[in-house]
Amino acid sequence: MDIVVIMLTVIGLFSFFATTVGLLRFPDFYSRMHAAGKGDTLASLLMLLALALYNFHEVNLANLLVAIKILSIVVFIFMASPTATHAITDAAFESGVKPWTKEPEEES
Amino acid sequence: MIWQLDLSILTLIVICAFATIMVKDLLSAAIIFGAYSFLMCLLWTEMGAVDVAFTEASVGAGVSTVLFIAAVYQTTRKVGVRKSGRLLSKAVALVATLLTGLVLLIAEADFPDFANPFTPASLHLSPYYIMQTLHDTNVPNIVTSVLADYRGFDTMFETAVIFTAGLAVIAILRRFKKEDRCDLPEPYVISEAHPDTIIRFIARQLVPFIQLFALYVVAHGHHSPGGGFQGGVIFGASFILLAISYDFKMVLGIMSERWNILLGNIGVLIYAGIGFLCLLLGANFLDYSVLSKVLPATDKIMARSHGMLGIEIGVAIAVLAIVISIYFNIVSRGKYDKGL
Amino acid sequence: MDSFFIATGVALCLLMLLTLHRTVHGPTAIDRIMGVNVIGTKTTILLIIIGSIYHRVDMFVDIALAYALLNFIVTIAASRYFHHRKNLSSRGYGYKFRAEDD
Repeated sequence: MDIVVIMLTVIGLFSFFATTVGLLRFPDFYSRMHAAGKGDTLASLLMLLALALYNFHEVNLANLLVAIKILSIVVFIFMASPTATHAITDAAFESGVKPWTKEPEEES
Repeated sequence: MIWQLDLSILTLIVICAFATIMVKDLLSAAIIFGAYSFLMCLLWTEMGAVDVAFTEASVGAGVSTVLFIAAVYQTTRKVGVRKSGRLLSKAVALVATLLTGLVLLIAEADFPDFANPFTPASLHLSPYYIMQTLHDTNVPNIVTSVLADYRGFDTMFETAVIFTAGLAVIAILRRFKKEDRCDLPEPYVISEAHPDTIIRFIARQLVPFIQLFALYVVAHGHHSPGGGFQGGVIFGASFILLAISYDFKMVLGIMSERWNILLGNIGVLIYAGIGFLCLLLGANFLDYSVLSKVLPATDKIMARSHGMLGIEIGVAIAVLAIVISIYFNIVSRGKYDKGL
Repeated sequence: MDSFFIATGVALCLLMLLTLHRTVHGPTAIDRIMGVNVIGTKTTILLIIIGSIYHRVDMFVDIALAYALLNFIVTIAASRYFHHRKNLSSRGYGYKFRAEDD
């Protein structure tokens, strides 16, 4: 059980790391939103799943209730985080943030 | 107390605080202040103070940030720059801050050490609460029992203070006439936001569950972190979510201004009313054990627990109404016609 | 297992520091909204990790749920501001009290 928890946590941490690197290094606002919206949700899902599994050292009703509550956080994040991403991207598009285009190569 | 996490979170908080002051844009400053509140809540959780962390999360990081954004929406985003005397004002601010810090440091030298078990508070007061709470009131959450039973007067006046804050905002901002002498011109770039289907759908689906969660937080405050304040604020935040995603008028149709103020009054009256009921039944003000005469089939200990639940409900109703009222007044500039 | 969770917590705080760089230096205000959303999500995870370190997860789950909720509400409110006032920078916007104000 501990091995599964450690593996899921490490994969989740790696997803968070990929999200943050994407947030810093992408040249354009819209690509940063891709990284933040998708990577964040996936990483939260993995890490919360690991923390819900860590609870089950002894299987009784109280631990089951706590695991169900953690899974309800997962469901909420699944519904709310993409909506927030959509709202921010819509606001940026309406305000006129321009997408990054590649400069045309010079004829040599 | 995990010192590694303590150091990292404190570093982040200091960076956020510096960034809030130095950013030259009021909206961005409000947003970074929201991040500062998020991290403060984390610090308090790490110290073990879960009720305080819950209140900071709901009030500071949630509703307070939305109120700042609403205020910036109705005024300007520019930071005012003084034309003359900037160096003098900065020097005065620096001297004042250093003096205040010096006074606080001198006062702190008289405090006992951080985890000293021989201070008067730890010798006489804390052991009494820790050992007697479950025996006196049958409520496992010691913070709730101290807040609502042993120190019930303070909480009643806190609720009255929240109510007064709502009254103050109404007194300053609310205007009933259509034309007013002190009306400021509308800001330049004004436009109606187009209705957004996705946000409306998700808000419509989520709001019942948010309200159910808020009621759970109020009712479960005896056994887990929670209580009246936090539940009321989350309930009010659900109405703010509806007002943001739909039109302002639609939420006014659900919760009219008259019912809002009535609910605020009813909340404070429930609290004071329970105290007065105890007075009528022959005991001191806010002494819940005499409620066992009125409530069927409870003894004195369970009557205290039920009395605490009653006043928590009163606090939740009052806080819910006042949060909605303050948001309405700020975001529509007192006119109640359109908002964020 | 405790030291593994403490290490995970410190790693998350380090990632929050990198996100703060985007929040502070983001050229537009919308970058900052996105940065605060990401910080809020990481804080929710960190709350439950702290609960696991203290071996009392049942106390911290309610706070984490409220946190995720309020993170969502603040992000929606901040982006609805830009649906109304479509102006990215803070120049050229505000009440014009005198002719040279802008």
